[in-house]
Amino acid sequence: MKRLLSLSLALALALTVATAAPGLAKTLKVGSLSPLTGPYAADGNDIANGVRAAIAVVEQEGGIPGYDAIELFAQDSACDPRQAVAAANKLINEKVAFVIGAYCSSATIPASETLDEESIPMLTPASTSEKVTERGLAHMYRICGRDDDQSVVAVKFMVEHLKAGTVYIIDDKTTYSQGLADNVEAKAGAAGIKVLGHDHVNQGDKDFSAVLTKVKQADPAVFYMSLQNSSSGALMAIQARRMGITAPIIGQDAVYHPQLMEIAKEAAEGMYLTFGFIDQERPLYKLFLEQYAKMGFASPGAYSGYAFDAAYAALKAIKETGGTDPDKMKAALMAMDYDGATKRIKFLENGDSGSNYIIRKVQGGEFINYWNPETNALY
Amino acid sequence: MEFFIQQVINGLTLGGLYALIALGYTMVYGIIQLINFAHGEFFAAGGYMGVILLSFLAAHGYMETHPWFCLFGALLLTMGYCAMLAMAVEKVAYKPLRYASRLSVLLSALGMSIFLQNGLMLTQGVYDKAYPTEFTHGGLDFGLITFSYMQILIVAVTIALLLGLNALVFRTRIGTAMRATAQDKVMSSLVGINSNRIISTTFAIGAALAAAAGIMIGLYYGSVRYDMGFVPGIKAFAAAVLGGIGNITGAMVGGLIIGMVEIFAAGYLSSEYKDVWAFIILIAVLYFMPTGIMGENVDDTRV
Repeated sequence: MKRLLSLSLALALALTVATAAPGLAKTLKVGSLSPLTGPYAADGNDIANGVRAAIAVVEQEGGIPGYDAIELFAQDSACDPRQAVAAANKLINEKVAFVIGAYCSSATIPASETLDEESIPMLTPASTSEKVTERGLAHMYRICGRDDDQSVVAVKFMVEHLKAGTVYIIDDKTTYSQGLADNVEAKAGAAGIKVLGHDHVNQGDKDFSAVLTKVKQADPAVFYMSLQNSSSGALMAIQARRMGITAPIIGQDAVYHPQLMEIAKEAAEGMYLTFGFIDQERPLYKLFLEQYAKMGFASPGAYSGYAFDAAYAALKAIKETGGTDPDKMKAALMAMDYDGATKRIKFLENGDSGSNYIIRKVQGGEFINYWNPETNALY
Repeated sequence: MEFFIQQVINGLTLGGLYALIALGYTMVYGIIQLINFAHGEFFAAGGYMGVILLSFLAAHGYMETHPWFCLFGALLLTMGYCAMLAMAVEKVAYKPLRYASRLSVLLSALGMSIFLQNGLMLTQGVYDKAYPTEFTHGGLDFGLITFSYMQILIVAVTIALLLGLNALVFRTRIGTAMRATAQDKVMSSLVGINSNRIISTTFAIGAALAAAAGIMIGLYYGSVRYDMGFVPGIKAFAAAVLGGIGNITGAMVGGLIIGMVEIFAAGYLSSEYKDVWAFIILIAVLYFMPTGIMGENVDDTRV
C-alpha cells in the first residue's frame, strides 16, 4: 500500500514536471472580447470562433517563428461598458499581444480606451459606429464597415430601387442602432423620403405589438428597423408580418445571422439587409469556411468572417515583424494590402479598412447578394 | 378607434400572460410569505420544455396531422414537468429553511434563480431556440384590426386556466386546505391538514401556470432564450404587488393592468418609456393603497 502511494506520488510529480516543461517555451497570447453570454451571445461566440479558426489556419501554415503555440483568451464583454472594461483589464494582465473585439460599439469604445493606455492593438470585427475609429487612438483598427456608409446605401436603395416615398424607422437605442437610425432618418429626409415616424424600443424587448400597430396605421412604403441583434430582428419580423404589415423591411448588419431565418422562417422571406459584400470565391474565404466547419462550429454568423480576418491580419503582422511590439505591428498592418477572407485588407490612416455595403436579401431561407449600390443593378 | 381596439387586443394578450406568471408569486407568498425569485425560471423552463416537445413532434410529422392534439399534449406535459421541478426546488431550497428567518429563504430563492438560469444556459446553450411556428400564422382580419389566432389561443387558454384555478382554490377540498394553511399553518395542521404537502402543491400549481405562459410566449414570439425568465418575472412580480400580493384575483387584475399600461404607453406615448409608465402606475397605486388593489389590511395572513 505504501509502495503504491509513493509510486503514485512519483507519477504525479513526473506529470507536473512534464506539463510544466513546455511552459518554458514561448506561447503567443492573444485576446478576444465579445459577448459570450446574454442576449448577444450568438454573435459573440461567432467572433470568438472566427478568431479560433484564424489561429488554427495560421498554425497550419507553419505557425509564428519564435512561438510554439498561440493561446486565445476569450473574454466576455456582455455588451456592457463596465464589463468590457473589466475584461480588457484582465486581458492586459494576461499580457496579450492584441485583442479582437468587441461587438457592441458601446462596449468597444470604453474597452479600447483601456487597452490604449497599455498600447495593446485592438481590431474590431463588428463595431460599426463612426466614433470607434474617430478618437485618434493609435492602435484601433476596424475590419467591418461604418454606419455612415451603411445608412447611405440603405437610403440609396430606398430611393433608387424601391422608389419609396415614405419610411417608418424603429431602433433599439444602442450607440450603434440609434446612431444608424438617426443617420438614415437624416439622409432619407434629405433625399425627399417622408419619415412617418421614428420610434425607439428597449434592448431585449419581446413584445412589439404596440409599436407595430403604429407602423401599420402609418402604412409606410418601407419599414426600416435598426436593431442590435438577430433575435430581436426575428421577433420584430414575425410580429410585423403577423400584424399584416406588408411593406418591405430593411435591416442591417447586426441582424444578419442565420438565426434570423431559423427563428422567423417565412416571416424573414424578402427582408433586405445592408451588409458588406463578401466574394465567396476568395481562396482565403474558402479556407476559413473549411476550417470553421472542421472545428465543428455552426455555420458562420455575420461577424465570424470579419473576426477571422482581424485575427489573421494581426497574426500576420506579428509574423512579419517577428515580435509583438505595437508600433512595429502598426507599421506592418498599415503596409498590408492583400486579399483577406471577407474583403481586401488595406487599412486607412484612421484604422478603418473601408466599407463595401451592398443590399442582401433573404430568399429561400438564405442570404443572397441582391443589389449593388454602385451600379444600381441586381446581382 | 381601430387603433384603440387593436391596442386593447395587444394588451389583453400580454396582460393575460403576466397574470399567469403573477399567480405563482402571489400564491406562494400567500402561503409561506416568500417572494419566490426562482419563479421566473419555472417560466423559462416551461418555454424550453415546450420547444423540445414541439420540435420533437414536428420532426416526426405529428404537427402536420394533429396540430391541436400536439399543442395541448405539449402544454399539459410542460405544465406537469414544471410542477415537478417546482416541487423539487421547494424540497431542496425552501423546505429545510421552513423555520429559518425570512431573509435566509429569500436568499435561497435568489440563489436558486441563478442556479436554474445558468443550468438552462449550460444545458441548452446560449443561442435562441426557435419554435416550430408553421401553424401559428394567420388570424381574423377586420379591416385594420387583426386578432391573430395565436392571440385568440393565448387569451382563451389564459381564461380557461384562470377559471380553473379559481374553481380549484374556492370550490375543492384541496383549495380549502390551501386557504386554511395560508391563514394559520399551526391551526390547520392541528385539524389534520398536511401543511408540507399543501405548500408543495401550491408551488406545483404556480409553476404549472408559469409553464403554460412560457410555452405560449414561445409560440407567440417564435423563440426562447435561457434568460427569458428575468424580465417577465420582474413584471409579473410587480403585477402581483399591484394587485395585492397574496390575493389571487388581485394577481389577475394586476397582470392585466401592467400589460395594458405597457401597451398603451407604447402605443400612445413612447415605446422606449413603456416600462417606466408601468412602474409609475405601480408606485401611484401603492402610495394610496399600500396593500395593493385587492390586498386586505391584515398582516401576514392573506390568502
